[in-house]
Amino acid sequence: MKPQFQFQIFKAVPDSLEPMRNFISAFGSVQSIDKNKIYKLCLAVDEIAANIINYGYPLAGINDGTIKVLIEYSDKKLTIVLEDYAIPFNPLKQILPTQEDLDKPIEDKPIGGLGLLIARQSVDDFNYEFTDGNNRNIFVVDID
Amino acid sequence: MSFLVKTEIFEKYTQLILEGALDSATAPQFSEEVRKIIPQKPQVLVLNVEKLDFMSSAGLRVLIFAKQKLGTTAMLFLVKPQEQLVETLKMTGLIFSVNIVDTYSE
Repeated sequence: MKPQFQFQIFKAVPDSLEPMRNFISAFGSVQSIDKNKIYKLCLAVDEIAANIINYGYPLAGINDGTIKVLIEYSDKKLTIVLEDYAIPFNPLKQILPTQEDLDKPIEDKPIGGLGLLIARQSVDDFNYEFTDGNNRNIFVVDID
Repeated sequence: MSFLVKTEIFEKYTQLILEGALDSATAPQFSEEVRKIIPQKPQVLVLNVEKLDFMSSAGLRVLIFAKQKLGTTAMLFLVKPQEQLVETLKMTGLIFSVNIVDTYSE
């Protein structure tokens, strides 16, 4: 039987981003999930993981942090949970660039917030929890 | 897969050839290459992204930085972006700031 659940723990360093995406892609490939959906899921996960690595752990003063990536496929939904113990950070409470910002010419475009915008728009559902000292970013993609 | 960037300077344009994955780990390489060419103020910057398989906002920020430094009259061309990259450009409104082409010649 194909695995329906997997997890892997990665060091919270930029060089883990590619192995993290490869882990997700490999799971998607085994489950025969559409490559475009997997790309978008990888993109969303990459954006949030990069924030944890670049800001979350450094702001917490932790230099050997980890990110646990859990994948579950059931009921036509592919769910990924990223768990970290960096500073609490709720991506849903951040102000995203507005349509007006996005419509601005590139010369006036604000650089901040693009990653979170991409993360939230690339999946069907995005949630956040803070439990037992852990941030849990939850990404859900509907599989037809 | 990782990431490779190569610069080619021609009389009327500068081309960067990008390959692999552009994420938070590899964007500094791209940024460094862009910073090297900015003093020459090329008015046409061509990014050949045919073999670029992944790009996150870290790469987009370098694109925005490049265009902001080169000024409003500079033209930015993307050669053969993959479908997923075009989707990201649409999502962020950047699609209106770049020219997508199959090939670039003077």
